[in-house]
Amino acid sequence: MRLATPLLTFIRVSVYVFLLAPIVIVVLASLNAGNFLTFPPQGLSLRWFWTFLQNDVFIDAIIYSAVLALCATAVSLVIGTMAALYFVRHATREAEVVRVGMLLPLILPEILTAIALLFFFYEIGIGTEHQIALFTGHVLMTLPFVFLNVTTSLQGRDESVELAARTLGASRYTAFRRVTLPLIAPGLATGGIFAFIISFDTFGISFILKGAGSAPLPIQLYDYLRFNFTPEAAAVSTVSILLTLVLVTVSDLVFGRE
Amino acid sequence: MKRLRSSLLIAPSAALIFLFIVLPYITVLVMSFRAPAEGQPYGEGFSLEGYTHFFNESYYAMSLPQTMFLGLLTTLVCLVLAYPVALHIAFASKRWRGFLYGIVLSPLLVGIVVRSYGWTILLGNSGVINSTLRNMGLIQKPLPLMYNDFGVVLALAHVFLPFMVLPLLSALQAMDPAITQAARSLGASRFTIFRRVTFPVSMPGVQSGCILVFVLAISSYVTPALVGGMRVKTTTLLVVDALIDQFQWPFGSAMALILAVSAGIVVLIFARLTRMKWT
Repeated sequence: MRLATPLLTFIRVSVYVFLLAPIVIVVLASLNAGNFLTFPPQGLSLRWFWTFLQNDVFIDAIIYSAVLALCATAVSLVIGTMAALYFVRHATREAEVVRVGMLLPLILPEILTAIALLFFFYEIGIGTEHQIALFTGHVLMTLPFVFLNVTTSLQGRDESVELAARTLGASRYTAFRRVTLPLIAPGLATGGIFAFIISFDTFGISFILKGAGSAPLPIQLYDYLRFNFTPEAAAVSTVSILLTLVLVTVSDLVFGRE
Repeated sequence: MKRLRSSLLIAPSAALIFLFIVLPYITVLVMSFRAPAEGQPYGEGFSLEGYTHFFNESYYAMSLPQTMFLGLLTTLVCLVLAYPVALHIAFASKRWRGFLYGIVLSPLLVGIVVRSYGWTILLGNSGVINSTLRNMGLIQKPLPLMYNDFGVVLALAHVFLPFMVLPLLSALQAMDPAITQAARSLGASRFTIFRRVTFPVSMPGVQSGCILVFVLAISSYVTPALVGGMRVKTTTLLVVDALIDQFQWPFGSAMALILAVSAGIVVLIFARLTRMKWT
């Protein structure tokens, strides 16, 4: 018993280190001054960030990913919130079907969904042109996260405030805009942030459905990593980690924790 | 009328899921029975060749047990690592809980490509671990940490660990602390309490965590590709190779479905072994 407690503590601390180690190491590697990812590093420098800033492929990929994630998040927020409203307020017997259906993109293996979408879009004659397939895939991947977060925040709210607004003469739309929407704003924000990050980082869907031309950041990074070993990839990864961190911190400050 | 208006809320999502999930999956099923062809994705008519090709070629057939093995090992490693952490967080003070929760969730905010890349920096032949050991004079030749099952399982366990901690945590937090106090006051040792009370109570979390991690692990692409360096052949890697690089759509679809059905069988056996209630 005396021995068990320090052993357990050791295991726990190791797991926390294990969780953070690969992420910390990527950030450290990006500061390496050498030409290759050697360890110990040959001095500290920001030169790989400079190289990255001058590399159009990665800059384009970041912008492309951000725009794609913004558009997918916008669509998911609208239809995901509608579905959450239906699920919490109106669904009766079919509630379980709605829930499972909305979570399907999350439950099914992403790579299989991507392949299924690829075939489907070829069968209807569109293929991977115009980024329609890619965009649809990103909306699908982000939808469950909006649905889950908005559902949680709706379930914590009392429907009677809305009914009160309606009794006082507010239209259905006004009641939603002035009462319901402000109440579920934190859920919308969390869902939106989640959706953006998922879309920004997702791999399988983008890998299979990307058309000719520009590709999202994870795909460019993966292609680069297969043949290159410079710390530039680490610099790109660090920037992507920082973007996420900024996004999460800002939303945490603005909307607080649920 | 009221019913009709409210169903407009679910209509866009329902249409999206039906059109872009249900129909495409049916397309995969149909595709797997189509005839193969040279120079184009698939030919005229239907055949079972996609399925027979998989089982006749040992290169493909052997990938299936290999993938299941990697998936099961990853699940086991995740369970062993996640349990002490989930216990720790579940019973930590409120101030610490948020912080520890953040550590567990933070890997999820970093893309899977970046995380796998982090492991290649750590495990490579001239990576952090091998270089450190060599500089300390402990080894002459680099240890084979990457491009093998070991590296792939380690990286997969890292990538999917949060998916094991979260269900465990929700099961443990739902537990009434009075039960363990009762067991303790009745004279049970801490190990006995864990074996007879805590672990059985957390069983639903163990089940859902294991199923989630197993399914995610066997269907992941980036991690085995980067950390395994294409030397560890999982069925998922072969599926993507057949579909994207070789343009063999019926064969690739058949292979994907064989993997999905096998995963389903493993999950069912696991659920039966742990006596899960299907309601």
